[in-house]
Amino acid sequence: MTEFLHYDVTVIGGGPAGLAAALAADQQGAKVLLIEREARLGGILKQCIHDGFGLVRFQDKLSGPEYAERFIEKLPKSDVAVWTLSFVSGIERVSGESYLTVITREGIRHVRTRSLVFAAGCRERTSRQIGIHGRHCAGVFTAGTAQYYTNILGKLPTKRCVILGSGDIGLIMARRLTLEGAQVIGVYEAKSTPSGLTRNISQCLWDFDIPLHTSKTVTRVFGDARLRAVEVMSVDEWLCPIAGTGEIIPCDALILSVGLIPENELAESIGIPLDPKTKGAIVDEHNETLLDGVFACGNALHVNDLVDYVSESGETAGLAAAGPQNERSLLPVECDLSLLYVVPQRINRSANQQERVFFFRSSADLDGATLTVRKGAKTLLRKRYSHLRPPEMERLTLSLSPEQLLGDEPIMFSLEELMHD
Amino acid sequence: MPYLKHLNQKLSARFGGRIYAREDDGCLILEGSLDCWDDVVAAGLMSVNKRRYDGLVNDILFTGGEIPPMRLPALQDNALDGATPDVLIVGGGIIGSAIARECTKYDMSILLVEKEHDIAMQTTCRNDGMVHPGIDLIPGQVKRRYNMRGNRMYDQVCKELDVPFRRSGQYICFHGFLRAATAFLGQFYYMLVGPYGRFLGKRAFFKREPNMNPAISGALFFPSAGVVSPYGLAIAYAENAAENGAQFSFDTAVLSMRVDQNRIHSVSTNRGTIYPKIVVNAAGVFSDEIAKMANDRFFSIHPRKGTNTILDHKASRRMMTIVSSFGTSSTKKKHTKGGGLVKTIDDNTLVGPDAVETYCKEDFTTNAQNVWDVFEKQRLTDPALFVRDAITYFSGIRAATYEEDFVIQKGRRTRNLVHAAGIQSPGITAAPAIALDVSKMAAELLSESREVHRNPSFNPIHKGIIRMNELSLEHRDAMIHKNPDYGEIICRCEQISRGEVKDALHRSIPCDTLDGVKRRVRPGMGRCQGGFCGPLVLQIIAEETKKPFEEIEKSAPGGEILFGSIKEVRPE
Repeated sequence: MTEFLHYDVTVIGGGPAGLAAALAADQQGAKVLLIEREARLGGILKQCIHDGFGLVRFQDKLSGPEYAERFIEKLPKSDVAVWTLSFVSGIERVSGESYLTVITREGIRHVRTRSLVFAAGCRERTSRQIGIHGRHCAGVFTAGTAQYYTNILGKLPTKRCVILGSGDIGLIMARRLTLEGAQVIGVYEAKSTPSGLTRNISQCLWDFDIPLHTSKTVTRVFGDARLRAVEVMSVDEWLCPIAGTGEIIPCDALILSVGLIPENELAESIGIPLDPKTKGAIVDEHNETLLDGVFACGNALHVNDLVDYVSESGETAGLAAAGPQNERSLLPVECDLSLLYVVPQRINRSANQQERVFFFRSSADLDGATLTVRKGAKTLLRKRYSHLRPPEMERLTLSLSPEQLLGDEPIMFSLEELMHD
Repeated sequence: MPYLKHLNQKLSARFGGRIYAREDDGCLILEGSLDCWDDVVAAGLMSVNKRRYDGLVNDILFTGGEIPPMRLPALQDNALDGATPDVLIVGGGIIGSAIARECTKYDMSILLVEKEHDIAMQTTCRNDGMVHPGIDLIPGQVKRRYNMRGNRMYDQVCKELDVPFRRSGQYICFHGFLRAATAFLGQFYYMLVGPYGRFLGKRAFFKREPNMNPAISGALFFPSAGVVSPYGLAIAYAENAAENGAQFSFDTAVLSMRVDQNRIHSVSTNRGTIYPKIVVNAAGVFSDEIAKMANDRFFSIHPRKGTNTILDHKASRRMMTIVSSFGTSSTKKKHTKGGGLVKTIDDNTLVGPDAVETYCKEDFTTNAQNVWDVFEKQRLTDPALFVRDAITYFSGIRAATYEEDFVIQKGRRTRNLVHAAGIQSPGITAAPAIALDVSKMAAELLSESREVHRNPSFNPIHKGIIRMNELSLEHRDAMIHKNPDYGEIICRCEQISRGEVKDALHRSIPCDTLDGVKRRVRPGMGRCQGGFCGPLVLQIIAEETKKPFEEIEKSAPGGEILFGSIKEVRPE
């Protein structure tokens, strides 16, 4: 007979989302288990030694480890059971409950839980996924891996590198490597606009005279055992390299910051439907997936720009996961092509609340735009934005009365660019 | 000599008198110069005559580019100086490793030298892992004989060496009624000549492979086809050889040989001079150069590159076996079997390979066009193949002779030499059979100077590294209780534990690189491609080998990953 350990709420992932979810559920009096794969809690924050975390939440400029510590220090006073170096290898769903198989150094444990919260974060896109060719030599790193080597191991992975992609970790690493004495030749971005936060472009590149080349990409790497050079090419409007524009740049590493993908292999294994736009689960305003009692939050749900929102999304999930399971009546929330996505993708009409929080990103850089939220022919909200950029996530609180939610038409988000005189 | 005259007329007509053919000691030699590599290959292929000559040596000088010299290890020492092994095997791919293991069945001392840092670093680890049934090989070919024998040996060899092997079977699909009808008749040819194959109608085929192109109207099924990890098998062969007493020396390149009175007297390497009694040439793409050093050249290698792509597990669920469409595998024209879609032993779909002639024997670069072309072709079999599902792609170089056949024989002139050369597809399939014969030839040659007996202490049984996520939960739990490291997952994509990584570092063949660990226990083979586990594996290697982080290499010397501590390193 397999012996199961019982919990009300089990959280998978001990990063900012999982920590917030576990603490929030604990505060509601639920019996909570937090499972973390690594030896220490904090997730990717552990290696983010730069500041800028917590501006929204704590009105303070914290480093990643400091931000994580604000949550971790609350754990001893809580009743949350924390398992580190523990790995969930499989989940089964039986009559509304989840049964987890967890690999630990003490053996295999079996967990039975009423609510399950996925907070496994995201992973980085690799050089192969963006079609970089050449030899498989040492010296090709994703920005997060380079960050681990630099900040956790204290070892430099490069002395002279090219950074491909202007995602935030790439920009942060450009500054970090420069500070440690490495030469960053430039940041190359295939798109015509940078994908990182404006403040990072300014603080990490301009302040250190690191050039940013847009509409250019790395197509090949050269080298034998170690990388010796990369080929950079200009791209056309469909991001295809233009023949004849190749330029060989000698360097010893290529660092990639070309996008993040939510980790959802476990969620998919129990049949949780994903949103192809976010690559995370489809959730309602409590971050509950289409499977009752299963929640998703943080970067596993959608890739956030600020950790403050990650914590908020974890709390939302943790609170609801600790509460009772009620019958849901879900109404779809959709967006047109002017938005990259909107989260949540469903609204629970049975929920006893009016205020609902939405996160969205625009598809393009817009200087002046109007957001319209409609339901059928009714307009629920019109809001003006002076500036919208895809890298910067927007948070919107919407008050929706039960009357406004009558009828089965989906709620529709759309953006319209303001005409300039 | 009417044949030679006729050939020279043909060559002259095509290449305008820039090249000519002559005979020498039963071989056909091509000389002259050309500036286009495809012409060099074409001249060789049109001159081959297997009935008249023992081989074709293509000495045409290529003037259109610089043929890169063999990459040599930087290591220089005298570790092997004065060694006197009975058998010196040159090359540590699947062929060399298998030969080493079979040779340990005799009471001979074995030394294998490999210029790379590990077993199976070049052609072998870039193979698609198919164990071929031998569908498109012509009766009479050496490679067909070894393919058939090798295929039959696989169950036993893999059982002895504890290497996962699956006889998944292979489907060749036919589009259109006419082709399907031909295939129906084709099954009788295969029943007669072998390998055994039978025709499946549309319904029967789609019952087994429901996600393939609906336009497929029938398929030939060859149940003897299978899949294996090519590098996994080579490493297991090598480890079993080492357990039975064979010596391995890596980063060791053969530089020259001294040949006296048709015998190899000594072999000089970057690690000293070796005095072997017998030399086995298993040097892959460089086997013609080894033959030249041994004064026994009668064949030439024209390297042929192929690119394979591996798909994510998620996209790999669409198919279960090995499926290709008739006409896509460019079989006859380009001399490759082109596996099509192969469900590998690790349950990834492999797409490829193609075949491109090249003059670079170690050009392992990939390029976007080749990958796209292969996908385009294979969409005939599965229309839902997308490059975006790729987790990695890689290129390998086949060691093709102009005869397009294996060279498995004792030296023609040099008496203490055995060739296992010109090995291309189906080399993995044939390896067990080749190794058996080559070890026998080596023993025969050695018995000319002394008596050779069976090795009484030979142990054919090898234990592989236990893969935790393949065990039952109870068994796995018990293993963790014995060793908690088996309960610490360090590779989340493939669920590999710290214990398994440590196991990989302490085998009979040493391993101290990230890629070496990856080939043995798979961390980094998954969708994140080592983003998360790479630094962890690096730390485990450093702990276990007691080396500083900055000395740990990705795959070979010169491929160090880190430069040194922050604040101490300065750019040059």
